[in-house]
Amino acid sequence: MIRFLAISLFFILTSCSLQTTEGLRQTELLLDEISNPYFENQSIDYVYKAKIEVYNNNLGGILIIKKTSPKNHRIVMTTEFGGKLLDLEFDGNSFTKNFVIEELDRKFILNVLKANFELLLIDKAVVVDAYESDIHRVFKTQNDKRFNFYFIKKSSKKLEKIVNTSKTKEKVEINFSSSDGEIAEGISIVYSNIKLKIDLEKFKEDAN
Amino acid sequence: MVFFILLGSFLIAQEAPMTPSEISLFKEKVISESKSTKTIKSDFVQYKHLDFLANDVKTSGKMVFKAPNQVKWEYTNPYKYSVVFKEDQLLINDGGTKSKVDIGNSKLFKKLNELIVNSVKGNMFSDSDFEVSFLKSPKYNKAVFLPKDKKIAEYIASFELLFNKNDAQVFEVKMIEPSKDFTQIIFSKRVLNSAIDDSVFSN
Repeated sequence: MIRFLAISLFFILTSCSLQTTEGLRQTELLLDEISNPYFENQSIDYVYKAKIEVYNNNLGGILIIKKTSPKNHRIVMTTEFGGKLLDLEFDGNSFTKNFVIEELDRKFILNVLKANFELLLIDKAVVVDAYESDIHRVFKTQNDKRFNFYFIKKSSKKLEKIVNTSKTKEKVEINFSSSDGEIAEGISIVYSNIKLKIDLEKFKEDAN
Repeated sequence: MVFFILLGSFLIAQEAPMTPSEISLFKEKVISESKSTKTIKSDFVQYKHLDFLANDVKTSGKMVFKAPNQVKWEYTNPYKYSVVFKEDQLLINDGGTKSKVDIGNSKLFKKLNELIVNSVKGNMFSDSDFEVSFLKSPKYNKAVFLPKDKKIAEYIASFELLFNKNDAQVFEVKMIEPSKDFTQIIFSKRVLNSAIDDSVFSN
C-alpha cells in the first residue's frame, strides 16, 4: 500500500512539473524585464510567408506585422493573391478588429489567433523567475494564469524560444531563427493542446 | 512644384469617360481578341498596398491560361506557390505542400475566382454582378467594375482592368478594397497562342 502511494505520489508530482524547466538551475533575477526584439522596430515592415497546418488541413497566406506606434502593432493576414483575411490592431493589452472574413470570424478561432499574436508581439514583460542551463538563460514571466519562458542563448544573447505554459502544462512553443538577433528569418509556432502548427518565413529583402 | 501640380492635373485629366460608340467598339475588340486567344503565357508582378506599410508587399511569378477556362498562377518570388483553377476545385502547391480546396459550395469564393480567370481574358463585361464603366486615356483603356452584390462589396469596392490600346489585352489588374488598400497585378512578356500542354495544369 505504501509502495502504491509512493508510486502514485511520484506520478502526481512528476506530471505536475513542467518539462520546460526540467534540467534547469534556478538563478537570481538578473533582469527586471525581458524583451522580444523581433517585432519592435517601427521602421521595418515585417512580412512573412505563412504556412498553417490545422487539424491536418493546410492553409497558406502572407502575414504582415508593423509596429505603428510605441504601443501599437498592426497585424494583417492576406491570401497569396492579396485578399485580406484579417486585419487587427494590438495595443499591448487588447485587440481592435478592423476586418475579419466571415469564415474566420468565430470566437474560438479569433481567441486562438489573438493569444498567438499577443505571445509573439509583447515586447516587454516583467521577469518573475530566472533559470539557466549550460546553453540558455531562461526568464519566466506571468500573463494572467499563463506563464512564458524566454530562452536566451548564452553565447549569442539571441532570443531563441518562448514557451507558453499553464501551471502544469506546456501550451505553445515558439522557436525563432535569427542571424542578427534583431530580425527573425524563420518562426515556428507549435501548439500542444490543439492540432495547430504555424511556420513563418520572412520575405527576403533582395528577392525581387 | 507648380510643374508637378500641373503635371498631376494633366495626368488625371487624361483619363476621360468613353462615349457610347467608343464603348461598343472597345467591347467588340476585347471580345473578338478574347475569342482568338487560345493560350496566354505571361510574367506578372503583384503589389499588395497596405496604407500603414512603408513599402508594398511585392511577389512575382508566371501565369498560364488555356481556353476555355484553365488557369495556373505560379508565384516564384520570394516563395514558390502555385494554384491551378480546375472547375470547382483549386489545386494548391504551397512550396511542396499540396492541397485541394473545394469551391463549389462558396458563391463568394467562386465569384472571386471567376474574376481572376476572366480578368486574364478581359472579357467579363456581361457579368451581371457588376456595374461597369469605361474610361480612356492616350495610353490605355480602362474598365471599372463595381459590385452590385452586398456580400462581394464587403470584400471589393471596385475592380479595374487596364487594356493596351492596340491589342486590347489586359496588362494590369487592380482590386481595391473598401478600406482603399489594394492589390495590383502587372503583366509583362505576354506570349499569345503558343502551344501549351494540358499537363501544365496539374499541381
